[in-house]
Amino acid sequence: MAGHGESEKKSSDAVNDLQTFRAENLQSNMKVIYYSRTFLSIIGGVIAGILGFTGLTGFVLYFLMMAITSVALIAKAKFSIHTYFDSWNRVLLDGFLGGLMSFVLFWTFAYDIVHIF
Amino acid sequence: MAEDLVLDTAIRDWVLIPLTVVMILIGVLRYFVSKLMRSQQNPDAKVVREGQVVIRARNLRAGANFIPAKSFRARRAYFSNEENGLLHVPKGQGQNPQAQMFSDPNMAMDMMKKNLSMIIPQTLTFAWVNFFFSGFVAAKIPFPLTQRFRSMLQNGIDLSTVDVSYVSSRSWYFLNLFGLRGLFSLILGEENAMDDTQRMMQMSGFGMDPTKVQT
Repeated sequence: MAGHGESEKKSSDAVNDLQTFRAENLQSNMKVIYYSRTFLSIIGGVIAGILGFTGLTGFVLYFLMMAITSVALIAKAKFSIHTYFDSWNRVLLDGFLGGLMSFVLFWTFAYDIVHIF
Repeated sequence: MAEDLVLDTAIRDWVLIPLTVVMILIGVLRYFVSKLMRSQQNPDAKVVREGQVVIRARNLRAGANFIPAKSFRARRAYFSNEENGLLHVPKGQGQNPQAQMFSDPNMAMDMMKKNLSMIIPQTLTFAWVNFFFSGFVAAKIPFPLTQRFRSMLQNGIDLSTVDVSYVSSRSWYFLNLFGLRGLFSLILGEENAMDDTQRMMQMSGFGMDPTKVQT
């Protein structure tokens, strides 16, 4: 789910309090997060639309979807977040609001096509 | 309050779906056009060298604790001593980036090209939507909204009794404009899909951009 491109940082130095992250790798990891979140928000929007969710249930589905994404990303990182990212927020929160717009759009689209007309 | 509007299926087939498909295709087209128009400039050797020096200095700073103090000092002197250090800029010679930008016509040209490739298709699509699809109630948002959203969602139909969650075709265009960004970044790669839309957000004054800038 999380895709590829997850590259390593020198984890041997992680014991040190100094942070040694390679910027490009970190960026590529973030990109992977962004992609998976966008993808899942679109898919989630279509699912919510087809199932005919309205109101709060749709947003609950979105939160659920994002939670699943976070768990999957953490699992993909083999539960050692600090090997791949510099903070937990990256995995849990980044791209959370960005996907909402896509989610709403595709939710509306699928819902209208299936249920309204 | 009209409870449920009955919408014609033809509206779905000839307004909602075509509008969305056209928006997607125009986004793809714009991507390729801007890719064609982008002039690749040869980077100046001096600029590249300076950039590399800065990166090396940054690496040195980040790894300062991992090397002996003596070698750190030697490297620091190499970068920043007063006479011939690599990073030492003689007083008064540093140029500020803004002046640099004005002195380089290529840069302004590039920016103008980028902006034009944004504005032209946007204007054309908007005119097209206005011309063909004005006044349709094209969609319904599956969640309730307050009255304040009426001007945003029912742009183009002047009925105050219609439930706010119904969306006019023109507003569906706007929803597409902002919501398809994610799709574009998926199908076109991340290449400037993001900063383009961010600039668009600023331009159209849509206010808050929920996504943080991805570092």
